[in-house]
Amino acid sequence: MDTSQCVHCGLCLSACPTYAVTGLEVESPRGRLVLLNEWRQPEALHDPATAQWLDDCLDCRACESVCPAHVPTGHLVEQWRAQDRPTIPRNLTLMRGLGFFVGSTSGLRWFQRLSRWSRRPWGTRVARSVLARLPRTVGDLSHGLPQLSLQLSRETIGSDAPKPHSTVMFFVGCVMDAIYSESNRRTAELLRLAGYAVVTPSEQRCCGALHLHSGESQPVRIWAQENIRRFEESGADKVVVNAAGCGTTLKEYAALFAGEPQWEERARRFEDSVVDVTVLLAESMLPRVSPTGRVVTVHDACHHAHAQKIFREPRQLLARAGYTIHEMANSTQCCGSAGVYNLTHPDMSEALVAEKLASIPDGVTNVAAANPGCLLQIQAAARRSRRNVDVQHPVDLVWQAYHDAGYLPKQEVGTRG
Amino acid sequence: MADWQQELEAVVGAQHVLTHPNLLRAYSQDGYTLESAMPRAVVLPGSTEETQSVVRILARHGVPVVARGAGTSLSGGAIASQDSVILHFSRLNRIHQIDWTNRVTEVGPGVINADVSRALQPGGYFYAPDPSSQQACTIGGNFAENSGGPHCLKYGVTVNHVLMADVVLPNGEVRRFGNLAGDPDGPDWLGLLVGSEGTLGIATRLWLRMTPSPRASRTIAALFDSVAEASHAVSAVIAAGVIPAALEMMDRLAIFAVEKGAYPVGYPPDTAAVLLMEIDGEPLGVEAEAQQVLSLLEGFHVRQVKTAQSLEERNLWWANRKTAFGAMGLISPRYYVQDGVIPRHTLPIALDAIDSISAHYDIRIANVFHAGDGNLHPLLLYDDRDPREVSRVKRAGSEILRYCVELGGSITGEHGIGLEKLDEMRVQFSPEALLAHDAIKRVFDPAALFNPGKLLPTPGRCIDYDGPP
Repeated sequence: MDTSQCVHCGLCLSACPTYAVTGLEVESPRGRLVLLNEWRQPEALHDPATAQWLDDCLDCRACESVCPAHVPTGHLVEQWRAQDRPTIPRNLTLMRGLGFFVGSTSGLRWFQRLSRWSRRPWGTRVARSVLARLPRTVGDLSHGLPQLSLQLSRETIGSDAPKPHSTVMFFVGCVMDAIYSESNRRTAELLRLAGYAVVTPSEQRCCGALHLHSGESQPVRIWAQENIRRFEESGADKVVVNAAGCGTTLKEYAALFAGEPQWEERARRFEDSVVDVTVLLAESMLPRVSPTGRVVTVHDACHHAHAQKIFREPRQLLARAGYTIHEMANSTQCCGSAGVYNLTHPDMSEALVAEKLASIPDGVTNVAAANPGCLLQIQAAARRSRRNVDVQHPVDLVWQAYHDAGYLPKQEVGTRG
Repeated sequence: MADWQQELEAVVGAQHVLTHPNLLRAYSQDGYTLESAMPRAVVLPGSTEETQSVVRILARHGVPVVARGAGTSLSGGAIASQDSVILHFSRLNRIHQIDWTNRVTEVGPGVINADVSRALQPGGYFYAPDPSSQQACTIGGNFAENSGGPHCLKYGVTVNHVLMADVVLPNGEVRRFGNLAGDPDGPDWLGLLVGSEGTLGIATRLWLRMTPSPRASRTIAALFDSVAEASHAVSAVIAAGVIPAALEMMDRLAIFAVEKGAYPVGYPPDTAAVLLMEIDGEPLGVEAEAQQVLSLLEGFHVRQVKTAQSLEERNLWWANRKTAFGAMGLISPRYYVQDGVIPRHTLPIALDAIDSISAHYDIRIANVFHAGDGNLHPLLLYDDRDPREVSRVKRAGSEILRYCVELGGSITGEHGIGLEKLDEMRVQFSPEALLAHDAIKRVFDPAALFNPGKLLPTPGRCIDYDGPP
């Protein structure tokens, strides 16, 4: 991968959210490629301004979608982040906290607990004291939290006996597991309704996306190896994931093991088995619900639309469940969540989410977004600006429709605000 | 810090006057990669008034000015020649008004071309000029270059679609040219300014014609085993009196690249030429003309004829065609695109000539062109790390242009002269004509401060640029 494939046509400029916000060539993909090239020169100027322009990349990959020459700008910036970490201004507390929370199941439980407390009057104090050294946007984001469960989803979903050719391993994620555990449970129910046996290994690890985007590839290889082992032991033919960001990372595991033929091969088999839940369900035999008149607009997560080219399937799935889709403008433009970007780049992130809110059509209150980062980001911004908008995973909307139509049994909902 | 820099900061704010060396490097090129030049500074004006003040300050200090939109020029129009300051218009990116009754839309120069049509689409209108870079290029740049595009065969180019414009002149005056009626009152000054490549004035507000969207359209792709045969088919269609909205051709190497690109259509790899034809208008007329074209095609050796079955399929075919230049990055480190125009009936011999130029200079050439109006876009593939190849590619390009003039055509259809074709201006025009051009330039810009060293070859003046990066 190098920058020389760029022929300077400039078609990427209009696709880049940071260029739209700043109007600066150096905040465009083409400009960043020039900066990357400069950076490698022997007498290059490695100053904070240049690092900032590069590090402002959201890694949304919108430029990669439109680039006629397939220049992997997002990947190149990620590589640069990994190689030049010391030069990038970063919040060490944030990165350590991230490592602790997503690094293990007990970390995730703490993450869930803290998030739950952050929504109570007394808990705000506790949460604040822990979060004080984190960016201010952490507090803003807590407005976007849903009703939180007392358990991780992996502890309640359980595993079915494998069925030939229709067994899936459910990759529960981290934020999905702790914060959107309800969406995970509904994902499992829909998979079962569609005829799949669901296996949920409790020892599965974080996919590593947040670390990779921030240039911290260290722990990810170990997590990847464990996830690959879990899949191989599970007896499943597919790995189902409902977070767009995780899906992209899981589909790029082989690159982590370049030059190690054995692991590369195992990672390749794993990659090929990964499927997004909206894709699997759209292809499945789920029943058709007659239109209910409920209207929904779709925000396409970057790692759906650009990284995985998933666009139609969430819509097909929602339409089959009886929803009417009212499209928003620029549905594939980044909402500014972008992993931990909203924590590391609060100003740019706020500008982007404001645009996202403005593009939700008037009168539409249901927004579907298939990534936990987007869910939190858009919901928090909507609550802060008192916009009556309910941001949900498409799976939740679809589950609700099948539930109302009597296809799913009544559920005991174990949530506590 | 130069005096003028402080003065500029007082006008537009310090954050909009940029001189960081790495940033200037990023602004040192546009879509034309054979040359580059570092600007002295980049300024982002926020209004017509700010532009006016910036121009006045720089004029007082004798600093030249180059306007830039998205930097997609293929002739170096946005390169900072002669140590100039770049005015980047990315902040003037608002569509100010859509007047549905009078069919005029008022925009800033930094508005993206495709965004205009996107904004007009709900009301059943579009902005007709559609350069292939329309997803990124700006209206201000289109004004400067008098940009065309595939659909300009039927609808006309930018000059036919800009009704009125506020223009900052080199002396710092702001003048309004044209009128909303769209008919020049007196000499057509607006017509002179459109396509003057930023050498006479900089548009800061534009009023554009809204064209009703056709009620029906048919897109036909014809695959040929020979480029000559496809060329004859083009002539036959035009001779039959059909004016397609667009009539485009790509040759084998171009097809190879776009099929590897972001929007593959699935053209078989051994196809020698694809002819892309679009007919639009009222449903019955479209149907009749499409039938006429299809039966004309039967008279030629066509391998396969397809009609787009859905809007999605049609859009895919166009996305495939319109990203052809960028897709060259997949088969070559750099490309140099030519923009010659020839009389349509000479298409087959011109393509033969390009073939032999390709062989003679040992340069691979892919051909993408607006066949309907004889506008060729040979894409000369080269590696910028090989200085001998760079020199060969320049000579090959020049020879193609000279041949176009010999055939009775011209050196540019829509990409402009810029830095790129200065020498060929002397092939196209007599010394007397060039003197007349120069006289016009002096009326507007006696100190030669607007986009200096572009468009008009000035004998005796040295131009000093960095070599290719």
